[in-house]
Parts: sequence; structure tokens; C-alpha cells
Amino acid sequence: MSALLRAELLKLRTTRTFIAFVAASVAIALLITLLFGLLATKFTEHDIKSVFALNFTSLFILLLGVMGMSGEWRHRTITGTVLAAPDRLRLLGAKLLSYAAAGALLALGVTLAMVAVGSIILSLRGETTLGAQAIIDVLWRNVAVGALLGALGVGIGGLLRNQVPAIVGILIFAFAVEPVLIAFAPGVARFAPIQSAPNAIVRYVLFGVLPDNPLAPGIAVLVLLGWIALFFAAAGARLKKFDLV
Amino acid sequence: MAPVEVRDLSKRFGSVNAVSNLSFDIAPGRVTGFLGPNGAGKSTTLRALLGLVRPTAGTATFDGNRYEDLERPSTRVGAVLEDAAFHPGRSARNHLRVLAVTGEHPRERVEIVLEEVGLTAAADRRVKGYSMGMRQRLAIAGALLGDPQVLILDEPTNGLDPPGIAWMRTLVRRQADAGRAVLISSHLLAEVAQSVDDVVVISRGELRARGPLEQVLGGDGGPVTEVRSKDRERLAGALQAAGHAVQKDGDALIVPGATPEQVGVVAGDAGIYLTGLAPRSRSLEQAFFQLTGGGEAR
Repeated sequence: MSALLRAELLKLRTTRTFIAFVAASVAIALLITLLFGLLATKFTEHDIKSVFALNFTSLFILLLGVMGMSGEWRHRTITGTVLAAPDRLRLLGAKLLSYAAAGALLALGVTLAMVAVGSIILSLRGETTLGAQAIIDVLWRNVAVGALLGALGVGIGGLLRNQVPAIVGILIFAFAVEPVLIAFAPGVARFAPIQSAPNAIVRYVLFGVLPDNPLAPGIAVLVLLGWIALFFAAAGARLKKFDLV
Repeated sequence: MAPVEVRDLSKRFGSVNAVSNLSFDIAPGRVTGFLGPNGAGKSTTLRALLGLVRPTAGTATFDGNRYEDLERPSTRVGAVLEDAAFHPGRSARNHLRVLAVTGEHPRERVEIVLEEVGLTAAADRRVKGYSMGMRQRLAIAGALLGDPQVLILDEPTNGLDPPGIAWMRTLVRRQADAGRAVLISSHLLAEVAQSVDDVVVISRGELRARGPLEQVLGGDGGPVTEVRSKDRERLAGALQAAGHAVQKDGDALIVPGATPEQVGVVAGDAGIYLTGLAPRSRSLEQAFFQLTGGGEAR
């Protein structure tokens, strides 16, 4: 498994997609931090934590996972991948773990960049920034969400396979279905995987939606793990019986 | 136990029998041509052998093991499939590095196989800029990475220019001479005739013929040898005395059922000088069309 995991991580590092995602995530995160630091007039801990939350990066990480798996079909590399690693469930598992690691790493990098730049701007403006404990609190939440959404993306990509419908479907679900669910069925919406459950872990949301009565962070982690298990099982069953002709 | 054994293999896609009760072996140190027209079931058979397609019935094994059960399969089997695909944004060297990590091969093997297929100079270019021939070479490099004892090549000359085809032919021969079992599928009959020792011919998913190339091309009656000598009458007598039927054809003798080696031995024992000795084959196309019944796809 470790060889497969290392191979998947090497795959990630040797194309421009991951670098592009990292660059875009960092750029957007820093832009938000910069605008907030320069334009805001009050800086409560809640405000600062909301800015330092993952925001758009979580969606980027989810899409990275989707593209990492569905890209195997898009580029028709799945045959060669399965030839090299014929145990298809192990292959899917390695992919899932590698994108969880990539998601965690991306979330860590983005958060550290935001905290560093944000803290500098706040101190230049004579404002108090977050203490070490609060920063650690933001960090673990962001890293947990990054890891979980990276893995979830692989599960979704493995099940749907077709990259464009998978990405469009996720965007529709995130920006149309979940807000509607929150408005009309908040009890159900709390368990939704793309915004509600991740935002319940992050807790402080600048962009995106969060139900009025969100899940406790620990429960939200378990709910996301459940979604990952569900998509992994469905994608694994489909991959296992699929004839690669 | 043969390095590759296919036994009663069948694969059905919906109402179509892609492969029916197919059985054959391939031997080490020999190149086996897997022949058939387009749609005959060659690729399906190879994909079943490689665990990419689930057989409806039968088995396809390497030393008795299914491909998916092999420990580090790339050390046992190297495969190049017809539509070998690569991530367009990854360089050849990185593509091979990924395969090397997956198969737990030493990193030096990447440079060795790049050198072997002549891609070292272009190894850091992204694959999307590669020609068809370069992609084919890269696919071969991937197959050789684990130094496997079995090579499976599905239509490997597709898209190659004449120098590329000649290179492929040499490479295949070298691999077999090193003791590897090579299975090479093709519908380009002329290519196969120059490269292979044995052939397996299929059509409409069913086995039509298998055996040494010379024997299969000689028809169902086995090999046919054409022999010439200035002492033709004495040679005919010696061959008949050795139990061979002999037919006269102009100034040549035709010996059905005998190989050139057998005819040569008889002549040598009788002290008869030969001026010509060759297998007499139907043309490859003739044999192929006869065996495959015209060979159209299903």
C-alpha cells in the first residue's frame, strides 16, 4: 500500500494541476485576507477566524480530488494504472489517502499563509491578532476539512468518472441544493457533505452556508467520514466489476 | 507449466460472444503471434489475460496465477496495450518514475529503459508533444521496467513508421532471445511473418489454428517442403524410401508433411547435393483468409 500511496503522491507532484490548485488557492486566500485586513474597521476574534477559515479552498480541494480520480478516465490512463496496480480497491484506497494528504497539506499551507499575512497586516494596523491557541484551533479544523474533502472528491470522482458532469454537479449541489435544503429542511441539511458538514467543522464561515443548528465538529467529522465510506464503497464496487475494454 | 496458459476462455458482452472457448499456451524464448482480423477478439483475450476484463468462463494465467494475484505483477509481465495512454502533462521520465514506484523497481531502471527505447534525450518533455512512435516507445519502456519474463504487445506496430517497425521487430526478437515469452497481437500479417516463431490464429472469437508459423502457414496438412537437386530422381527415391510422399513440380520436388530439416537429413544421408531447399507456404494472406473465413469483424 505504501508504494501505491507514494506513486499517487508522485503523480500529484508531477503534473501542473496540483501546482495550479495550490497557486489559485493561496492567491484567493491571500486576496481575501488582504481585503479584510485593509478594509475592515473592526476585528473581533470571530471575524478573524472567519477570514482564516478555508473558504474557497475547501471547494478547490474537493474538486482536486474529483479531478484526480475522474482524470484517470478523462486521459484514459485508468487501464495503465490498473495494470500497474491490479487490486482495484487498494488502488482506490491509495488514491483516496493520497488526496486526503494533499488536501491536508494544501489546507495547512493556505492557512499558514493567511495567518502570516493577516497577522502582519493586523499588527501594522495596531490590532490584536489571534493567539497561539486560537491559531491551532483554526489550523486543525482547516486541515481536517482539507483531508476529508480531498478524500471525498476521490470517492465522488470514482463513482461519477465523467469529469465535467461531476464538477458541475458538485457546484450545483454546493450553491443551489444545499442552500435550498438549509432553507426548507435544515434538519437534513446539517448532514450535507459539501458545505454544511465541512463548515460545521470550520465553524466560522465568511463565504458559504452554515445551518442555524450545525453539527458538533466531532459529529461533522464522523458524518463526512460516513459520506467518504459511502462513496468509496459505491466507487469501489463499480470499479471492481468494470471491464476495462 | 507454460508462462502463459489460456484455457477455455470465453467472454460475452451482452449478446455478443467476443471470445469462445479459446485455449493456447505461449512458450519461453519464443515470439508468438496472436493473429486475427479486426474484431476477432484479440484485444479482449489479452485484456482478460491481464485482468482488465472479467472472463465469462475459463482461465488465463501466468505460471498458474491470475494476473491480479501476481505479487508485483510488473516483474513478471510487461504489457503494451493498443491504446496506451499517458497523462499529457507528465514527462516520460516522470511517467516511468510513477510506474517504478508502483512496481517497487529501482529508480535506475527508469534510465535503463529510457536508453533501451531511445527516449533519453526527450525524457523530460511532456508526453502531449510526443509523436505516435515516441508514445509507443514509452509504452514499451513501461513494459520493460520490471524486467519481466513475459511480454504482451497488442498491435505494437500501429502508427509506427518503417524504421519504428524495424526497431520493434529487433526489440521483440532480442527479448525472445533473452528467454522471454513474447505474445504479439497483430492484424498486419506481413509484420508477424517476419517476427514470430509461433502463431495463434483466431476469428470471431474462436481458435482457428495454432502452432509453429511454418506449420500453420503450410496448411492443415502440416509443413510442405520444396527441394531441388541436379540428381532429382535419386533424391525422390531416397525420400520415398524414407517414407515421404513426393510430387514433381517442374524441376523441383514437393514433399508434403516434411520440414526442410527432415528433407535435408534424408538428402545428406544419401549423399545427394541439394541446389535448393525451402518451406513452401501458401502466401500469408491466403493462409490467413482461409483460416479466418475472410476475416470480417463481427
